[in-house]
Amino acid sequence: MRLLRRFLEQVGSMMDPEALKIDSKRFTLSPELGRRRFSRENLVYAGTYLGRNRRLFEPSSLLLQMLAAEEGTRKVHLDRDAAWLFVCGRDIFEENVKRVEGVLELGRYYLVMFDGRCVGYGRYETSAGIRVIRNLFDLGDFLRREGSG
Amino acid sequence: MVVSREEANKQFFLDRYRMLGHRLTGDEKTPQVIRVNTVKTSDAELLKTLTGLGVKLAKVPYLDHGYVADESGFSLGASTEYLLGLYSLQESASQYAAQTLAPSAGDTVLDMCAAPGGKTTQIAAIMGNRGLLYAVDADMGRIYALENNLERCGVDNCLVYHGDATSLDLGTRFSKVLLDAPCSGNYVTDPSWFRNRSIMDVQRNAETQRKLLIAAMRRLEPGGTLLYATCSLEPEENELNMEWLLRNHHVTLVEISGPGERGLTEVFGQKLGEELSKCHRFWPDTNHTQGFFLAKVVKT
Repeated sequence: MRLLRRFLEQVGSMMDPEALKIDSKRFTLSPELGRRRFSRENLVYAGTYLGRNRRLFEPSSLLLQMLAAEEGTRKVHLDRDAAWLFVCGRDIFEENVKRVEGVLELGRYYLVMFDGRCVGYGRYETSAGIRVIRNLFDLGDFLRREGSG
Repeated sequence: MVVSREEANKQFFLDRYRMLGHRLTGDEKTPQVIRVNTVKTSDAELLKTLTGLGVKLAKVPYLDHGYVADESGFSLGASTEYLLGLYSLQESASQYAAQTLAPSAGDTVLDMCAAPGGKTTQIAAIMGNRGLLYAVDADMGRIYALENNLERCGVDNCLVYHGDATSLDLGTRFSKVLLDAPCSGNYVTDPSWFRNRSIMDVQRNAETQRKLLIAAMRRLEPGGTLLYATCSLEPEENELNMEWLLRNHHVTLVEISGPGERGLTEVFGQKLGEELSKCHRFWPDTNHTQGFFLAKVVKT
């Protein structure tokens, strides 16, 4: 929970989900699912997948969409072309950010939004003298997982 | 003249299909079809976006959320909208299976051979992401793909178990079961099918499918519904398995209507029960889909 909480704090979330652990993966159960009794033996996935612990917490797409819907989380909004570059793994130049929710401050973490949905997250930093949203996770990961799976 | 194994197989299977009433060429294709993920968006919203990007879409009349898609300059399996889980690529006949099972939010559903999860995510969408959906698969590598699909499509009513569906103890019974059984497949979706398949595979798969059918019946509550599906054209994996099920278990077949054809009641000169016509077949020549078989039974 420590890594998950740290990640949530980083993007300005007030969420405090009750997490179910399966190996390094973290899940949360809807109230409906939480009321049901089910076997834990051989269980590998349950309810809403939040992400997994590695060196840092790797958020799931599901968690990112939940955070996108939460007021108060820090967000940068992109147009289609910039969002596509981001899901291809690229960092985003500051001038390609269309709109910011919250204040853009160096060192802070931001959800990267396109058309009202979250396509990943990154950290606002300086790279070779240029200010960018450094890509820390993007949805192109689904394709990269297929490639490596 | 030397005939390759592939050519001999092709002739053998096409002869069989001709005896079943279909003159197939072995070159039939199926169009690319998307399924709108109603967990995350609506048909109208997605159609507006995709047509704006130059994709030509045509509704498949018998599918609730299925559209034939002509790509325009980009891969539909790698767009931002796909990665956001707004749609999946899923062949028409395959979409018809979960639609025919017709699960609801009040059901406890089991998807017995679930990976890679096309039908699992569709079932979750039909259930409105409510109720309880169990997904089981024996292959951890394929479960990885299933998990990715559940995550991408925003599914949160699903429990995934790793294990053999014939022996895994899930500790509950189900109102609806989908058994999309491992099968011989068909040549429409597998270009190497005629090279790699033999009648021995068909017979071996039919035996495995019967074991899975026994497990499905054990897991089903009385009055519960089983949907049995294969993407095989071979009667041994389809009508003959259903005839065996009717003979050995307390079940009744429910008629499946819609596109496609009725199940076969005569196979290579062998007469089967008339009620097997309640089963359903998709043929590549008349339906322009892959080969597909569906049977819906209720446990009595």
